[in-house]
Amino acid sequence: MIAVLALLAACGRGGGGEGGTPVPDGELRIAAQFSPRSGYAIDTDDAYILTQLGATEALTAASADGQVRPALAESWSQIDPLTWRFVLRSGVTFHDGTPLTPAAVVTALGYVAGVAAPPRALRGLGLAAVEDGADAVRIATAHPDPILPLRMSSPNAVILAPSAYAGGAPSVIGTGTGPMRLTAVEGTQQAVLERFDGYWGGRPALARVSATFVDDPSARALALRAGDVDIAQGLPESTLLEFSAGSGFDDQTVAAPRTVSLLMNQSAAPFDDARIRQAVTRAVDRTALAEQALAGSAVPASELFGPAVAWGAQGPAPAPDVAGARALLTEAGHGPDNPLRVRLWTYQNRPELPTLATAVQAMLREAGIDAEIQIGEYGTQEPEVLAGRYDMFLLSRSYLTDVPDAGATLRSDYTCDGSYNINHYCSAAFDSLVGTLDTTTDVAARQDVFRAAASMLVDDAVGVPLVHSLENGVSHNVVGYTLDPMTKQLVTPQLAVTG
Amino acid sequence: MITRRLVALPAVVLAASVLIFLLPRLAGVDAVRAVLRSRVAEAEPDPMAAARVAAELGLDRPLPEQFLRWFWHVLTGDLGLSYATRTPVAPQLASALGVSAVLAVLALVLAAVIGIPAGVHAARRPRGLVDRIVTVTSVLGVAVPEFILAPVLVLLLAVAIPLLPALGWGSPAQAVLPALTLAAFPAALAAQLTRAETADVLSRPHVVLARAKGLAAGAVLWRHGARLALTAVASLSGLFFAGLLSGAVVVEVVFAVPGLGRLLYDAVIGQDLPMVQAGLLAVVVIAVLAALAAEMLQLALDPVARAAAQR
Repeated sequence: MIAVLALLAACGRGGGGEGGTPVPDGELRIAAQFSPRSGYAIDTDDAYILTQLGATEALTAASADGQVRPALAESWSQIDPLTWRFVLRSGVTFHDGTPLTPAAVVTALGYVAGVAAPPRALRGLGLAAVEDGADAVRIATAHPDPILPLRMSSPNAVILAPSAYAGGAPSVIGTGTGPMRLTAVEGTQQAVLERFDGYWGGRPALARVSATFVDDPSARALALRAGDVDIAQGLPESTLLEFSAGSGFDDQTVAAPRTVSLLMNQSAAPFDDARIRQAVTRAVDRTALAEQALAGSAVPASELFGPAVAWGAQGPAPAPDVAGARALLTEAGHGPDNPLRVRLWTYQNRPELPTLATAVQAMLREAGIDAEIQIGEYGTQEPEVLAGRYDMFLLSRSYLTDVPDAGATLRSDYTCDGSYNINHYCSAAFDSLVGTLDTTTDVAARQDVFRAAASMLVDDAVGVPLVHSLENGVSHNVVGYTLDPMTKQLVTPQLAVTG
Repeated sequence: MITRRLVALPAVVLAASVLIFLLPRLAGVDAVRAVLRSRVAEAEPDPMAAARVAAELGLDRPLPEQFLRWFWHVLTGDLGLSYATRTPVAPQLASALGVSAVLAVLALVLAAVIGIPAGVHAARRPRGLVDRIVTVTSVLGVAVPEFILAPVLVLLLAVAIPLLPALGWGSPAQAVLPALTLAAFPAALAAQLTRAETADVLSRPHVVLARAKGLAAGAVLWRHGARLALTAVASLSGLFFAGLLSGAVVVEVVFAVPGLGRLLYDAVIGQDLPMVQAGLLAVVVIAVLAALAAEMLQLALDPVARAAAQR
C-alpha cells in the first residue's frame, strides 16, 4: 500500500530541481539530520549545526583537501614554535551590532579552552590567547602545534560576541558573525535564522532559514516529497531512487570521512599472529559488503582513508582470496581438526553494523573461521575493548576530528600510547612516522605522512578497513547547494531558493 | 476506596523514584562517559575530563548521597540540570508535557468522536453491513502499528493530496496527522467496546420492553444502549491518556513533535539521566492520577460500581 501511495505521490510532484531563477528574499526550509543534543553549547558537537546554518564563524576555514583559508582572521604567521599571530579581518560586526575585536577573540577562545571537557580539536593544547595590538591576537600552545591555523577552523573555535559570555553557558542567539543571524530556537525541534545585512562577505540571498530537526530519515524524505522542506539531509538509500535525475530533485552523494573497520585484538591470541590477521583480511570481500550487504550505501575500502580526503585511497578494494586465507590459517595451525573460533562484537547505534557483522561472519566461515556475533551497547563494550578483552570488534569511526588533518586519529588509534588504540597495535616504526607530524607544518608533507601511515597499517594487517560511509542530501528549487562531507557548511551567502 | 488510593499515592511515587534512580545505574550506565559522549560524539576516554565532569555534576559522591540529594531536590520542585544541555530540566519537561497533553486530548476526542458513534451504529444490526465495516476497520486500527500508519497518512494527506503538513508543530494543521495517527488505536478499541456493550444492553429485558412500548428506535439506542456503554469507554480513556502522554514516541519522532515521548527518546539515547528520571517520575505520577480519575469517573457514571465500592 505504501508503495502504491509513493508511486501516486511521485506522479503528483516534480519539476524545478537545481537551476531556475533565484527568488529575492526567499525562505529556505531544511529537514536536518542531526538535532541539537546539548542546547547549542558551543563546546559540543552542536557547534556544527550553528556553522552549517551560517550563524557562526571561526578565525579560519578549511576545505576538505586540508587547505586552510582566511575567515575572521585575514592572515596569520608563526612567531615561534609555540606562538601564532592572527590578524583580524576589519569591518566584521557581530549580530548584536558590536565589532569584532581582539578582546572578543580572547574571551571566546578562553571560554572554550577552559571548559571541563574541552572539545576534541582543542583538547590538551594548553591554548592561551592574548590581545596583540588593535587588530590581532597571539595564540600560544603548551607544546608546538604545526596545524594551529587549521585547528582554528573547528566549529568549536567560533567567535561569539562578548555579550554571549555574560553569564553561564554562552548564548548563541544573535551573537555570531555569519551570514544568517540565529533568532529563535525551539528545543530540539527547530531553529530559525534571518539574514544578517551587516555580513562582511556580502548580502546573503536568503532572507530566512528554518531548520526542522527530524530524527526519522523516512520522515525527512516524506517532508521533501510533500514540499514542506527544500533540503533534506541523510535520506534512506531506498528512497534515493525516487529523487534521482529527472525527478525534479537534485540529489547529491559524497564520501564521508568515516570508515567501518573490523578491528582485531593484537594483544592476545589468536590475533597476535600476523598470519591470522592476514587471513581475515583476505577472507573478506569488501566490494560485496558495500554493494550487496549495504545496497550501495557505502563504498568498499582498501585502507583507512577513503575518497573523502585528498590523501585517501582512490583505487579499488582488494579482491578476496579465500584460498590464500585458508592457506595462512593452515600455516598458523588451524584447519578442519582445529578450527579457529572467535567472538565478533559490534553495537547497534549504527544500523549498518549488525548487517555487516552477519555478512562478515559468512565470509569468515567460508575461509574456516567460526565467528560468534555478539551485539551490545557501545557504552558497555568500550571499556572491554580498550582493555583488550575481546577478539574482533566492528567499529564505525570518523578519521577526521573536526579539522581535515588525520594526525589526531593516527596518534590516538594506532600509536603505542594511543588513548583509543583498540587494535592494541604497537610499532616503533609507526610511532616514529607519526612523530614527524609534530614538526611538519606543510600540508602536502603531512598528507604524505598520512598516506605512508595508512600503507603501514595495511602491511601490518592492523584491522580490516571494510567500507567508507556515504552522505547524501536532496534539494528541490534551490541553487547553490553543495553537500559538504565535513558537515560544516550548508547555508552560504550564495544559497537561494528558486520560484 | 478512593481515599485508600490517595493515601497510597506517596508510597507508590517513592517506590517508583527509587527504581527510576537505580535502574540506569544497575544497568551499568557510566553517567560520566555518557555525559561526555552525549556532548562530543566519538570522544576518546580522557580521565582528566571525566574527573572534572564527575566533580561538576556530583557524580563522584556515594550513590545513597546522590539519591538523597536528587530526591530532596525533587521534593522541593527542583528537577535538576540536564546533563546534555546544562539547563534546568523542569521548563523543558513542562513544555513537552504541555505539547503531549494537547496531542493526547486531541487524539482521545477524535477517538471518541469516531469510535463511539461507529460502535453504536454497528450494534444496531449485528452482522449487518455497517457492523462488518466497523469490525474490519477497528481490527485494522488495532493491528496496524503507528510506524506504518503514520507514513501512510503522510503519503495520502500530505504528499498525494497535499492538504496537511507532513511534519512540525505549532499550527492547528500540523496537529491533525499526529492526532489522527494516535487516535487510531483508541478509536478502534472504543468502537469495539461500544459495539459489544451496546449490543448487550439492547438485548436486555428493560430495553426490549421500552421498544415494545413504542419508544423510538433512536431514543432506545442512545438513551438505553449507548449511555451504559459510555461508562466503560470513559474509564478506559483515563488509562489511555497516561499512555498517550508518554508513549507517543513513534508519532512524535516521525512528525517532529516536541512532546514528552520525543524528549524521553532523546534523553535515553543521550543517557541524560536527570531528564530521564524527571520524565519517568512525571509519567508515573500522571499514570497514577489518571487511573484514579478514571476510577472516579466510572463511579460517577455507573451506579452498580458505586454500590460495590460502598460495600
